[in-house]
Amino acid sequence: MTTELEKYHGNLQYAVDIVMCIDATGSMNPVLDIVKNSSLQFHQRLGEVMARKSKEISQLRLKVIAFRDFGDDPSDAIEQTDFLRLPQQVGEFEKFVRGLRATGGGDIPESGLEALALAINAPWETGLDRRRHVIVMFTDAPAHPLGTVGASAQTYPRDIPRSMDDLFEQWGYARSQTAVMEQSAKRLVLFAPEEEPWKEAIGEEWDLTLHFPSRAGEGLEEFEMDEIIETIANSL
Amino acid sequence: MKLGDVIGGYRVVTEPTNAGGGKCVWAFAEKDGREYFLKRFLEPKRPREGSGGSAVSRRIRLESCREFEERHRSIMKLLRPDASGAGNLVLATDFFHSGSTYYKVTERIDTASLQTPESLGPKQKSVLLRTLASSLRLLHDIEIVHGDLKPANVLVQQREGAAFHTAKLIDFDDSYLSGRPPEREDIAGDSLYGAPEWRRYVQGDEAVGSADLTTAVDMFALGLMTHTYLTGSLPAYDARFGSPADAVNAAEPLTADDRLGTPMQALIAALTAAAPKDRPTVADFLTALKDPEACTLHDAAQPRPARRSRVQFNPPDHPRTVAPEPGGEGPPRSRVRINLGSHRKERS
Repeated sequence: MTTELEKYHGNLQYAVDIVMCIDATGSMNPVLDIVKNSSLQFHQRLGEVMARKSKEISQLRLKVIAFRDFGDDPSDAIEQTDFLRLPQQVGEFEKFVRGLRATGGGDIPESGLEALALAINAPWETGLDRRRHVIVMFTDAPAHPLGTVGASAQTYPRDIPRSMDDLFEQWGYARSQTAVMEQSAKRLVLFAPEEEPWKEAIGEEWDLTLHFPSRAGEGLEEFEMDEIIETIANSL
Repeated sequence: MKLGDVIGGYRVVTEPTNAGGGKCVWAFAEKDGREYFLKRFLEPKRPREGSGGSAVSRRIRLESCREFEERHRSIMKLLRPDASGAGNLVLATDFFHSGSTYYKVTERIDTASLQTPESLGPKQKSVLLRTLASSLRLLHDIEIVHGDLKPANVLVQQREGAAFHTAKLIDFDDSYLSGRPPEREDIAGDSLYGAPEWRRYVQGDEAVGSADLTTAVDMFALGLMTHTYLTGSLPAYDARFGSPADAVNAAEPLTADDRLGTPMQALIAALTAAAPKDRPTVADFLTALKDPEACTLHDAAQPRPARRSRVQFNPPDHPRTVAPEPGGEGPPRSRVRINLGSHRKERS
């Protein structure tokens, strides 16, 4: 996001990290292309909005976690990238996103909480002066309870919490001793149905969380990247 | 919160959005036939009976909630919507929690705002800036720092039939007591309108402590906003810098538009001074704008104020400027004074 101009080293430096958790099960088929296209345009749109505000992000990194259902097929229940620095690694980012296919999923609940737990425990930026760490969840389904469906599979993530209470403690709150994310930096944006755990357990109980409801089982009809961009641009 | 919900007796009548807000979701709402602005805070969350988390975490969260409630209620007590002069402050009329979430209510106001205040005439601009400064003075008189003063938090409006545009100051949720700001990681503020000491505080500069963040933080932002309202843009600074404050912190002063009168250039220079103690107070600012002429944007370049000149607007017995000294180069030496000394409060 920086220009060719040599910047003064004392400028306030902002780092923005975003993890996109994308439900890639069959029911997402009608909207996955929209999610993918928006994801691909995201860094450009964010840059445009910031430029209009005469503001600049010093470092932007994106990470994608695509999830399906450990109860259906543990071998492809999670696909993810590392944090990719944009625009430098845009090719790698685009290749991964374009390759996502909406398939599988089995029963209605999916493994969205495992994806969320992986996102919370991602290696977030700790340097620069100010940071914004955003997790965005795109799903049209409720989630299996953590540590249950498919938890014995070899591919099931080992180091994630096994209960909602433990995941809540990792998300944390002001003055929490157990939070793994920086309180002042973090945000969670849910594009998810009014079903559990999204509606009450997370949408109501977790702080710094915005829930934009989609209809369960019908796919996300559409969503606006604007909500995510507002979350970032208004707080820098 | 969604369209049609009734929360605390307020029926949500528009689709909630986070547009323009970093840590909230808002919508318009109705109650007893009146319209309101309903704001849902993203933090803290009040633990409910039977909700998750350990007893320890519950105790910590309840303590945060108690402090949050106390802060909001104390500001509401100090700044009442019916207080004298509070007409241009958009103040809370209600504050409550529903379930685990806190909400704040203000009257519904027209959110339209004139996007080009620079197109107004000098008298209009003067009234606009004075209404803004008067609102700010109400805060500063009780030692409250707005903390996030920027154009997005000011609505420039003209009431039907009114001759002048006025400024409505909104969003006090990031306010703090002068000298007692939130922690470095938590303090809000805008990266463009933030003051030099705010940026150094955020950057962890140990030379800047909480006591250094005073009402002068708002005065720096007011200086930038004044320049923006009068000319349509911020004062100039080198493109190497990310913001005006970055330039000032690097000892590179900002350059005001030279179409502004010399006293206004001097006022903006003083407002954007590096040292908080060198900035005029809001009372000084109001005095300086008594004469609408101060807000004129001339067609031709005006003399630059002399460095370190002391400028006072409309001194009764002196001309506004004098001619350049014979043989001297550069702008004429200003003899008008802002006169910051006598009634300035010492800032620690």
